[in-house]
Amino acid sequence: MSRATRYLAAAAAAIFGLALATGQADAQTLDRILKEKKIRITAQVDSAPFGILDKDNKPTGSEIETARQIAKDLGVELELVQVTGPQRIPALLSDRADLAISSLSITTDRAKTVWFSNPHGALSIVIGAGKNVNISGPADLAGKKIGMTRATLEEQEVPKIAPPGTNIVYFDEHAATQQALLTGQVDAIGAAAFLITDLAKRAPAMGITSKFTVRTAFYGIAVKPGNMDLLQWVNTWVFVNKHNGVLAKIYETHTGVKLVDLPSM
Amino acid sequence: MTYVFQFGIVFDQFDRMLVGAWLTVQLAFLALALGLAVAIVCAYLRTTGPKPVRWLVMAYVEAIRNTPLLVQLYVIFFALPGLGLRLDANGAALAALVINFGAYATEIVRAGVQSIPVGQIEAGRALRLTRLQIYLLVVLFPAVKAVYPALASQFVLLMLGSSVVSAISANELTAISNTLQSTTFRAFEVYIIATLMYLAIAVAFRGFFAGLYWLVFVRGRGR
Amino acid sequence: MRSFGTNEFLFVLAAARWTVVLALIAFSLGGAFGAIVAILRISPFAPVRLLAAGYVQLFQGTPLLMQLFLVYYGLGLFGLRLDAWTAVVIAYSAYAGAFLGDIWRGCLQAVSREQWEAAHSMSLTYLQTLWLVILPQAARIAIPPTVGFLVQLVKATAVASIIGFVELTRAGQLMSNATFQPTIVYPIVAALYFCLCWPLSLWAQKLETRFRVGNAIGAGI
Repeated sequence: MSRATRYLAAAAAAIFGLALATGQADAQTLDRILKEKKIRITAQVDSAPFGILDKDNKPTGSEIETARQIAKDLGVELELVQVTGPQRIPALLSDRADLAISSLSITTDRAKTVWFSNPHGALSIVIGAGKNVNISGPADLAGKKIGMTRATLEEQEVPKIAPPGTNIVYFDEHAATQQALLTGQVDAIGAAAFLITDLAKRAPAMGITSKFTVRTAFYGIAVKPGNMDLLQWVNTWVFVNKHNGVLAKIYETHTGVKLVDLPSM
Repeated sequence: MTYVFQFGIVFDQFDRMLVGAWLTVQLAFLALALGLAVAIVCAYLRTTGPKPVRWLVMAYVEAIRNTPLLVQLYVIFFALPGLGLRLDANGAALAALVINFGAYATEIVRAGVQSIPVGQIEAGRALRLTRLQIYLLVVLFPAVKAVYPALASQFVLLMLGSSVVSAISANELTAISNTLQSTTFRAFEVYIIATLMYLAIAVAFRGFFAGLYWLVFVRGRGR
Repeated sequence: MRSFGTNEFLFVLAAARWTVVLALIAFSLGGAFGAIVAILRISPFAPVRLLAAGYVQLFQGTPLLMQLFLVYYGLGLFGLRLDAWTAVVIAYSAYAGAFLGDIWRGCLQAVSREQWEAAHSMSLTYLQTLWLVILPQAARIAIPPTVGFLVQLVKATAVASIIGFVELTRAGQLMSNATFQPTIVYPIVAALYFCLCWPLSLWAQKLETRFRVGNAIGAGI
């Protein structure tokens, strides 16, 4: 056994050695994208109305359209990198995507790991449940089973307002969280208000509504730390498209709600 | 840009990961005990039951062995409530693991049972043992001994396979690692630690089962 | 409201090809890898043997999901720019390599010691013995458990759905989410896996009876 352990240790050391050898600075990312004529952007397709599959099972939604617009304005091909909620940030860090455009709310915690652009949209986190569930404020959460998706704003915010005795359970992605609500595996879920509205529309029998708002937030486009050139271009893009109304149009088409005034960082 | 490893954040939460590892061990042993009971009953029915029952057991074994655990988990957690059967996440996880392990173990135990020479059973009859006594003492005990290594390695696979139950919000090591990953954003560090914990559990299990074998089948042989 | 119809079924069915493709690629690459591991495991040099054994231990002693996470999240941190496909293929090939390596090592060792000695007395070299005497005999024994492992590999690809890789399980999940009919969708997904795996399982059993060797009871999950 001790022999085996020693060899394991040696193997681990070899892996880390490889890590040091290959971990070198990225060249200018924007240049690379322009040269390769391809940008890779995260696509989360289980998060209506930001990203979902349409009737022909093609990705659509406000964030998908934002990604398409960005690729178009860069004049490069778009490669959508399908991710689940918890992978939006790891996808950037592990260099699987150049940009994360997946309704990523801007928080100071996340900003320790990725760099955010100026916001290009707004959302609110609510508690949503069927008509038979009696919730009107945070106090009513006690004794109920609340589902939410890991690595989301709700995961961060709902526990802060939940009274003792709230049973919060976590799923790895929105699809599972929503199915848990619809199949009665949880009493309520924490999610973006739009998602609840969309869910209510698609499953009318349950009479799902937003019970109360937990927090509102702005979401932005994220890049891997260090990709200054790309971030600068994205910020410029957000600025331009805020003023020419493209962002508002995308947002309103998919959410059915007018886009609020977007502040700048 | 070079990635800077930060294991410190993860080590701060080490106790939470230990709790997760303990949950994984508990879940695995519970599934082992129940799954083994399922397997012994099914192996018995599969070898001695009437034809329709044999077919039923065979259908169960084949259905489970030819579909992924993850899909079995989704069927139990998401599809069964539509038919009026609702298990919570931990219950569904345990049920899926028991059903899964039960099917593999049925085949393993059956192979062991069929390796017992008929003469041995006849000897049992000559000693006027009851049918149940014969099955338990003359057939099952040596059968389990014969297939013990296969059962033990299937059990380790079960424990490792249990990592997917986090997908339905059941609570164990992977679920806690996922939560830590999403709050610290240190995916690589968290998963390295979790992986090493699984490895330690697997090694410990193998040692435990080797010891158990010695205790039950080697030392106890004189009795 | 959208319901689970032909369009949705075709989406799930079409995604099944990624399950098949992933399993086949991992099987081929893992097979090549596993062959090397198996031969190293019976090498006369102890350090080489132990290194190969350590590799097998590492992959058989940790969850596939963790291996997937580490490759998926990890390799990118080291400056390797991999798309999702490459990352998943690497993880599954390494996984398959460990399991096949272990299965095949057993088959190589099942060839009796006398064969080695006989070959040695005919002054064949180590490699000649391996290639001309041992491998042909071991290959025969190896076929049933190898087919059995292919079943395990097909099922194992379902785990890739957790990291968002669109194959059969993930497609089922997306359709279940679009139609809200998990009661229909998941049994269909399970049935499709069964259609992929059962013929292979039957084949493995048939081969096993034909060759009358070993046990293809084959552990799996």
